[in-house]
Amino acid sequence: MLRRPALTGPATDLPRRKPHRWGVLAAGLALAVLSGCSGTGSTISTAVEDSTSAIATARLALSLDSAGKLTRAATSTALDDALKELATSRNSVLKLSPASEGDRQSVQEALSVLDGCAAAMTTARDAVAGGERAPSLSDGGQQLSEAADRLSQLGAKDGGK
Amino acid sequence: MTTARALAPPPPLAGRLLDAQLHLLDRQVMDNDGVPVTTVDDLELSGPALDVELAPGTPAPVLTALLTGPVLGTRIFGGRPPSSRLVRIPWEDVAEVGVVLKLGVGGGNLDATWVERWIRDKIIARIPGGRHDPR
Amino acid sequence: MKRLLGVALGILTAIGGFVDIGDLVTNAVVGSRFGMSLVWVVVVGVVGICLFANMSGRVAAASGRATFEVIRERLGARAGLANLSASFLINLMTVTAEIGGVALALQLASSVHYLLWIPVAALAVWLVVWRIKFSIMENVTGLLGLTLIVFAVALFLLKPDWGNLAGQALAPAVPAEETATTYWYYAIALFGAAMTPYEVFFFSSGAVEEGWSIKDLVQSRINVLVGFPLGGLLSVAIAGCAAVVLLPAGIAVTSLSQVILPVAEGAGKVGLAFVLVGLVAATFGAALETTLSSGYTLAQFFGWSWGKFRRPAQAARFHLAMIICLFVGLAVLATGVDPVLVTEYSVVFSAIALPLTYLPILIVANDPQYMGGHVNGRPVNVLAMAYLVVILVASLAAIPLMIVTGAGS
Repeated sequence: MLRRPALTGPATDLPRRKPHRWGVLAAGLALAVLSGCSGTGSTISTAVEDSTSAIATARLALSLDSAGKLTRAATSTALDDALKELATSRNSVLKLSPASEGDRQSVQEALSVLDGCAAAMTTARDAVAGGERAPSLSDGGQQLSEAADRLSQLGAKDGGK
Repeated sequence: MTTARALAPPPPLAGRLLDAQLHLLDRQVMDNDGVPVTTVDDLELSGPALDVELAPGTPAPVLTALLTGPVLGTRIFGGRPPSSRLVRIPWEDVAEVGVVLKLGVGGGNLDATWVERWIRDKIIARIPGGRHDPR
Repeated sequence: MKRLLGVALGILTAIGGFVDIGDLVTNAVVGSRFGMSLVWVVVVGVVGICLFANMSGRVAAASGRATFEVIRERLGARAGLANLSASFLINLMTVTAEIGGVALALQLASSVHYLLWIPVAALAVWLVVWRIKFSIMENVTGLLGLTLIVFAVALFLLKPDWGNLAGQALAPAVPAEETATTYWYYAIALFGAAMTPYEVFFFSSGAVEEGWSIKDLVQSRINVLVGFPLGGLLSVAIAGCAAVVLLPAGIAVTSLSQVILPVAEGAGKVGLAFVLVGLVAATFGAALETTLSSGYTLAQFFGWSWGKFRRPAQAARFHLAMIICLFVGLAVLATGVDPVLVTEYSVVFSAIALPLTYLPILIVANDPQYMGGHVNGRPVNVLAMAYLVVILVASLAAIPLMIVTGAGS
């Protein structure tokens, strides 16, 4: 036997929720504006900054490795991480769809410099990994410093824009 | 405007006066060995149903059981589960009401500890070292 | 003599256990981008965590109950559930970050890819939680974490311009290459990294695990007031190393491998060995603490039987919850998401959730029904209220700043 009789009467309606359309619209608009704000110029300069940091990391790691202060494991991990960061910056520039001819030129230029950086980084990583036909550490260091120079030139040009 | 009717006088009882919200709800329940059982998620009262006219001389509601388990959801978000779905700790099992509620029985046979026992038997005890005393 | 050893052990464990992956990453990022100009945030954060850890330890010692148990009794089921949801989710994010940190540290030591280390790390965390006694676990990871002192040693060996460093720290200014919004965003991140919410739950539940009573309060106070500030000094040393080596080279920290480069430069291979041991110990210890915290918060809210002092068969739901948390963390990391990115988000979200976790402690620490005669004194309450304002401001400013700065980029 039930201890209490069943409830009778109509179920009460669920309380109606005010439509949140305006809030969602405003938030979406804000996000669209903020993300659209990063134009070609700022993407390239961010990519240049990140790549400069990655190349500098690689040069520091190589110099510490040559001085006998780092283990091979740590150096190769540091170079792998730097290579990953280079790849991410390169992808961000690759994804750009430049509007004007000038923008297209700067994207091409940036891509070629970043490709050079990636090549230098790969040389350095292969040098650290060792093996039979690996390049020498000094080769890797040399290529990295050249890549750093080209990056700073690109950065100076963009800064002058 | 209806005139207010006097409630039936509360039944004469010996003992303390407790506030259900303050002293009973959300309190930890321990069994007679001091092992935690659950927290009190809701209380079950006997007595007249809602929406029913009270006849004069109706006895006051009596606390029959502590409730735990899925009833926490209905307590917070509203609604009421059917009576057969309630996981009860009968009020007769409660031995002491203080900062925590202490039961006079062991937790091993309570409905409220069913999930704990099931997980213990089917999962934890099957992993090596599950019954190992860490001390 | 035994008393003295006990006190020393407590302090050393507190120092070694202070730094976790959030502190490591955030301090290194801040040092490499802002120099020493955000050190004041570490000071503010350390004072805050001392204050609240002290309160939560006192709550546990005076009432014999851990913080989350009392939150539900004192604030009710609804507020307790809101608190639980926020704390638990952020805790889960932190568990993920810490396990990722362990894997990254092991990769640095071995050059085996970190994705292969992740199941190993998760399994190791579970084994320790399953079998190892609480005090042994605390002491071993805490003492091994002390090797992170090598950051301070390396900073000395690098022979920096101390006047310059001190000038940056005492007269904070936004560096030329960064914007003010990014500065304040990282201030909030650093604050969240120093005042980790899980610390408070772990501290009070640990007090119950080890059976603290009123007479242990003095020991706990010494641990907190001496150990945590010294741990804070370690954080500052991490930022200092990054400021001295990475900032001039134009390196912005985005991975754990960059964090250790200054130590190698200052202290060579020996320093590198110490810092790798310290990294693994600190992140592993923090992974243990956050995993246990997730178990504690769930078990204490729902009234389950909990504690490492009980055999697992007697705390079945507690252990199952932790196993599930570890699986979730493992699954998230297995998707290949960058653990350093997870860390950076977890510290900011910790800052957002801070008011939810600290307000209940403040309320309970003032309640004579639980505390008896050990309620907060007037000065403690004044300081705690001031901190509550700071915490609220940081929490409210975090999301707008995150949107505006694009999460600090």
